[in-house]
Amino acid sequence: MTTITERPSRRKALTDRARQERALGWKLAGPAFIVMLAVTAYPILQALWLSLFRLRLTDPDSREFVFFGNYQVIFTDSLFYSALLNTLIITVVTVAVELVLGFAIAMLMHRIVLPRRTLRTIVLIPYSIITVVSAFAWLYAFRTDTGFVNEWLNTLTFGAWNTTFDWFGSWAPSMTVIIISEIWKTTPFMSLLLLAGLAQIDGAMEEAAKVDGATFWQRLFRVILPNMKAAIMVALLFRALDAFRIFDNVFVMTRGANNTETLSTLAYKQTIDRVEIGMGSALSVVLFLLVCVIAWIFVRGFNVDLAKGRN
Amino acid sequence: MEQNNKQKWSLALVSLPVIIWTLIPVIWIFSLAVKPQANQADNNFWPRGFSLDNFELILFGGASDLFLPALLNSIIVGLIATTISVILATFCAYAIARLNFSGKKMILFVALAVSFFPVISLVTPLFDVWRSIGLFDTIPGLVIPYLSLTLPLSIWILSAFFQQIPWELEQAAQVDGATSWQAFRKVIVPLAAPGVFTTGIITFFTAWNDFVFAISLTSESARTVPAALAFFTGASQFEQPTGAISAAAVIVTIPVVILVLLFQKRIVAGLTSGAVKG
Amino acid sequence: MAMKHKFRRGIAALAAIALAAPLAACSSSDGGTPELMWYINPDGGGSDPHGGGQAEIARLCTEQSGGRYRISVELTPNSSTDQRQQLLRRFAGGDSSLDLVSMDPPFVPEFAQAGYLAPVPEDMIDEFTEDRVESSITAATWDEELVAVPFWANTQLLWYRKSVAEAAGLDMDAGVTWEQITAAAKEQGVTIGVQANRYEGYTVWINALIAGAGGEILTNPGPDLDDVELGLDSDAGQAAANIIREIAQSGVGGPSMGVSDETVALNLFQDPATSGFLVNWPYVWAAFPANNVDFIDDIGWTMFPATDDEGDPAPPFGGISLAVGAFSEHPDLAYEAAQCITSEEMQTLYMLGTGNPASRAAVYANPEVVEQFPMAEMIRDSLEQAVPRPQTQFYGDLSAALQREWSPPSGVNENTPKESAELIMAVLRGERLL
Repeated sequence: MTTITERPSRRKALTDRARQERALGWKLAGPAFIVMLAVTAYPILQALWLSLFRLRLTDPDSREFVFFGNYQVIFTDSLFYSALLNTLIITVVTVAVELVLGFAIAMLMHRIVLPRRTLRTIVLIPYSIITVVSAFAWLYAFRTDTGFVNEWLNTLTFGAWNTTFDWFGSWAPSMTVIIISEIWKTTPFMSLLLLAGLAQIDGAMEEAAKVDGATFWQRLFRVILPNMKAAIMVALLFRALDAFRIFDNVFVMTRGANNTETLSTLAYKQTIDRVEIGMGSALSVVLFLLVCVIAWIFVRGFNVDLAKGRN
Repeated sequence: MEQNNKQKWSLALVSLPVIIWTLIPVIWIFSLAVKPQANQADNNFWPRGFSLDNFELILFGGASDLFLPALLNSIIVGLIATTISVILATFCAYAIARLNFSGKKMILFVALAVSFFPVISLVTPLFDVWRSIGLFDTIPGLVIPYLSLTLPLSIWILSAFFQQIPWELEQAAQVDGATSWQAFRKVIVPLAAPGVFTTGIITFFTAWNDFVFAISLTSESARTVPAALAFFTGASQFEQPTGAISAAAVIVTIPVVILVLLFQKRIVAGLTSGAVKG
Repeated sequence: MAMKHKFRRGIAALAAIALAAPLAACSSSDGGTPELMWYINPDGGGSDPHGGGQAEIARLCTEQSGGRYRISVELTPNSSTDQRQQLLRRFAGGDSSLDLVSMDPPFVPEFAQAGYLAPVPEDMIDEFTEDRVESSITAATWDEELVAVPFWANTQLLWYRKSVAEAAGLDMDAGVTWEQITAAAKEQGVTIGVQANRYEGYTVWINALIAGAGGEILTNPGPDLDDVELGLDSDAGQAAANIIREIAQSGVGGPSMGVSDETVALNLFQDPATSGFLVNWPYVWAAFPANNVDFIDDIGWTMFPATDDEGDPAPPFGGISLAVGAFSEHPDLAYEAAQCITSEEMQTLYMLGTGNPASRAAVYANPEVVEQFPMAEMIRDSLEQAVPRPQTQFYGDLSAALQREWSPPSGVNENTPKESAELIMAVLRGERLL
C-alpha cells in the first residue's frame, strides 16, 4: 500500500533490467493473481447483479427487476438485525476469550520445557479437526439424550444442576454451546499467531526488567504486550474476520433455531433452502461489505500494517 | 532459558488443564463411536461396553455408500485444489521473494483480502452459475471455489518461507561451476521443498475442512465428508445417526492427527510465518 | 440375535451389490439394462435389500422386470425438511439421476409447479388411483392433475401405556382430547411424546391441532400468490397454541421437547420410567420389538387426540408419493417401475416389513397384515379422518415461517397464530427474510 506513492518517480527511472524483472515477476505471479481474482471478483459481481432481481428458482417466470428492493427488505427486517447481532456477539466473545486463552497458551508453549513437544502437538489437534466434527462432538456432549455435560455439571454442583437441562431449548444456552465449540476449534490458531509474536520479543529486555525488580504483571503489561502489539492486532484481525463468517457450528447445532441465526446461515437459507437467488445474493453482498468495513476499521483504526515485514 | 525445577514442574502442571480441555471432545467422539447402540444415550463420558458396529455400518454397512464415496471425494478434491494452489503459489511466491517489481505488495494485499472473503457470499452466485453450466455437483465445481480459500493461504505461507531461503547459495553454487539448473536442483529445491510440503499440508487441511461450499454446491456425486456427515442417517429410521457420525468423524480425524503428530514443528512454523513473519 | 443375523446378511448382500455395481454401471452405458435411481426416504429397512423396506422392493422389482431395468436406491436424509432441500437442490441443478423419488406429499405441489416432475402417462392414471384411500390421491394431485403415484399413506395414532391410562381413569377407546392426556400426564408424572423441533414434523402437529378445532391453515388451496388466504388467526389457531403452550410449559413434553422429532419422541416413550403417551406414525409398532422394549403388552393405541370436546380429531396425513423426475433419461421405465413398486404385493410387503401403512385399501384385508398389525383397522379409520397439510406451491416457505413463529414451543402464546400468519404472508410477498 505504501508503494503507491513512490511508483511514479520509480517508473521514470526504470532501467531495462528492472523492466525485465517486472515482466518476469508478473509472468510468475500473474496466473495466481488472475485465478484469485477470477474466483472471487467474478462471483461477487454476479451476486451484485442478481441482487437486483426478485428471482425464485422454482418459479422462474416470476423473475422481476426490483432494483434495491431486496436490500430494502433486508434492512427493514428484524431477522437481519438479530442475525447481525448474533454474529457480532459470537465474533466479539470468541475473539476476546481466545485472545486471553490463546495468549496464556502461547506463554505456556513459549516457556514450557517438560512436555514441550507433546503440548505443542496436542494444542494443534483442534486446528486439524474438521469444524463439523467439532460441532458434532460438542452438540452430542451437551444434548440431553446423549451428552455428559449435564451429568458432570450435576456432579460438580452436588446435584443442584438439573440433568435434563435443554441446552438447545433457548437462545442463551444454544449460543453458549456454539461459542464453546468455536473457541475450542480456533484457539490453537490464535495461540500460534501470538506465539510467533512472543518469539520476536527480545529476551534481554525482559531479563532487564526482571533484574530491575518488575513483577510478572508489570513485565507483561510494560514489556511483553507493548512489544507484540503488531502480532496481537494481526491475530485479532484474522480471527475476527474468520469468526464473522461463522456457519458450520450454527448449521450443525441449531440450524438457526431459537434465534441463533447468523449472517452466513441467513444467506444460506435464502439461497439454498428457499432458492430465492435474488435475496440470497443481496445478503451475500451485504455480508461482503460488512467484512470490508471490519477490515477497514482494523487497518485504519488500529493501524495494523498487514504487509509488515515484506518488501 | 534457565528455569529452576520448581518453575519447570509448575508450568507442566499448568499445561495439564490445557491438555485436558483440548482432548475432551476428541476422546468423547471416540467414546461415542465405540459405544454400543444400546448405550448411545446413557450420558456417560467413558463408554460402558465396546462395539465396532458403528465402524462396520459406515465402512461396510448401510451407511457405507454415503460415507466411502464422500471420503474419496474429500481426498480427491483436497488433493487437486492443493496441487493447483501450491504450484501457482510457488511461482508467485518465488517472484515475490526474489524479484523486485511493482505490484508485489498489491498481490499480497489481494491475497489477504481474498482469504477474508465471506465464503457464503460466493455460494449464491456460484450455485446459480454452476447449475446452468453443469458444474453443480462435480469435482471441478468444488475445486474452483476451493481455490479462493487455498490459493491466498498458499501464497502467504510460501512467500514467507521463500524469504527465509538464503538465495545467495544458488549464485555461490554457480560460481563453483554448477549450471543454473544444477544449482537450482541441488541447492534451492532441498531448501524450498520443506516449505512447499508444509504449505501443501496446511492448504489441504483448509480444503478438507470446508463445509459451506460442500453442502451448497453438491448434492451427491461430489459430496465431501463434512457435508456427508451433516446428512447422515442412522442404520434405520428409528436410530439416531449419533454413532455413525461419530465413527465417521473418528475415521476422518485419525489421518489428520497423524499428520499433525509427524509434522508438528513445520505446521507451527508455516501457520505462524504465514501470518506474521517469524 | 435376529437383528444381528439380519445385519450380517445385509452386509453380505451389500458387498455383493458393491461388487456388481461397477459392472452394472458399465453395461448401462453400453445400452444394456438401464439403471433407475430411486431416492428413498429412510425406512425400517434402510438400504438393506433384504430389510423389508424400499431397498427390498427395489431388488424385487428389478428381478420382476426381467432385465428391463435395474433399480438402485439412494437414501435421502432423515428429516423431511432436509429431504426437500436435497431434492430441491438436485432438481434445480437439473440432475438426470432423479428417476424415482419418494416424496413427502406436501412438497409435491412445489415440485410439480416448478416443472420438476415428469407427467403421469394418461393410460396409467387408472391403475395408479385404483383401490387407493382418497386422501392419498388428493395428496398426489396438483392443479387438478395427478402428478405423482400414491405409494403409502400414513397417519399418526396416539400410543399410550395402558397402565397409565387406567391409573388416570381415561377411557381411551372412546377417544381423548389433548387436554385430558395433558392432565393425566401431569397427574401421573409421565411424558407425552410430540414433535416440536423446528422442522416439518412440527408443522404436521400444528396443522392437526388446527384442523382438529375445525380450522385450516390455508383456506384456499391454489396456485396463485394473490389468492393465498390464511386461517391461522382464528379460534382454531388459538386452541392449537393453547395446547402446545400447556404441554411445553408444564414439562410433560419431556426435557428436550424443543428439539424432539419422531425419533426423540419415540425414545422418550421407550423410557420405562416416564413413558405415558406418544403421538407418532405406526412404524413405531415395528420399532418397539426392534429396540427391545419390554413393556409392549402394556402399549395401547387409539385415534389421534381431539383438539377440543366439540370437534372431531383430525389425525395428520403423511406417507410417501412416488414421483418421476422430469430430467430422467427413462421416464417411461420409471413409471413402469412405479407400477411394480406400488402394486398390492409390494405395498403389503412394505407394510409388513416396515410398519408403514399401504395406500391400497385391499392390503388392510390381508390376513398377515391383520395379524401383524392389530391396529390395522384403527389406521384405516384414522386415514379416513386424516387431514393433509396445506397444498400450495409455496409450502416450503409457509411451513418454515410457521415453524419459526411457533418455536420454541415454550414461547408460544396467544399472539403466535396472528404473528405467524403475518410472517407467512410477508415472506410469500418477498417482504421478509426467512
